[in-house]
Amino acid sequence: MAQPPLTDAQLIARVVVQDDRNAFSELVRRHQSAVRTTLRRLTAGNHALADDLAQETFMLAYRNIKSFRQEAQFSTWLYRIATNAFLADARKRKEELLGDRDQELVPEDDDEAALSPELTGSDQTRRASLRIDMDRALAVLSDAERAAIVQCYHNDLSHEEAAIVLDCPVGTVKTHILRAKAKLKSRLAAWESL
Amino acid sequence: MTGPLEMNDSPRSGSDAGDDWLDTLLRTDAREHRADYLDDDGFTARVMAALPAPPAALPAWRKPALAALWAAAGIGIAFALPATATDVAHEILRAIFAQRVSAAGLGVAFVALVASTWTAAALVLRRD
Repeated sequence: MAQPPLTDAQLIARVVVQDDRNAFSELVRRHQSAVRTTLRRLTAGNHALADDLAQETFMLAYRNIKSFRQEAQFSTWLYRIATNAFLADARKRKEELLGDRDQELVPEDDDEAALSPELTGSDQTRRASLRIDMDRALAVLSDAERAAIVQCYHNDLSHEEAAIVLDCPVGTVKTHILRAKAKLKSRLAAWESL
Repeated sequence: MTGPLEMNDSPRSGSDAGDDWLDTLLRTDAREHRADYLDDDGFTARVMAALPAPPAALPAWRKPALAALWAAAGIGIAFALPATATDVAHEILRAIFAQRVSAAGLGVAFVALVASTWTAAALVLRRD
């Protein structure tokens, strides 16, 4: 008879006690999709960067797995590491950009005009159109605002859970959400009537 | 901005009327994004390859071989320098038996030994 699959907690115990690489590999396989899609959203659709950060996330998870106390779900812990990796990378990129005086600044997209949804196509085209518009709209947000939106909507976390992931007070999460939604409202206004 | 912003307890609990369409849009997009399962495509293999190498396990024969080497060296020295070895052994024994041992001294040593053992055990348990 086939054995039931091991739970995350059992796999983590194997990694901690026996340094079982196969168990860790199973954990990566289980959570890679969620972590990579979260990072794709955080990086506003930069797939290569998202995958690099996802790899870094799992490396950090492996190194620090002994400190995982099972108080939260393993996926929530991974989201926290992934978000920290993303924010650290974003800070580093900004510092590099500021430090390099010769480098031309990437022009900000000052076009405040709302993005236009695809009105004529099928459902599939509409979905694709929404995804593109959402990526562009999310790119306008600050890193912290985007992280709050991704945790609360994309990962369906409560404000309290998002505060744990983002390592900030609940009030700060709410503020980020409000500011982000105000910006998204103007960017996605064309979708309001649909 | 089209209306006053109000704080919600949780994004799961809904929103004010002005944000309804945006909330629905965000949820729809998030739901569709979540439904997309990303194929592994060698990602797990890349992560596993990048992990630090496990520490090399010591071969099982290492301990007995070391013990045998030390024993052989000791026996070799004893045979090469028989008089020196005997003298050293005699001196060690004499030094041990020359000590005056009182009952009080033995008691103090015993108490110190028990105390240090319990302290070490308590420290180990505390760390675990």
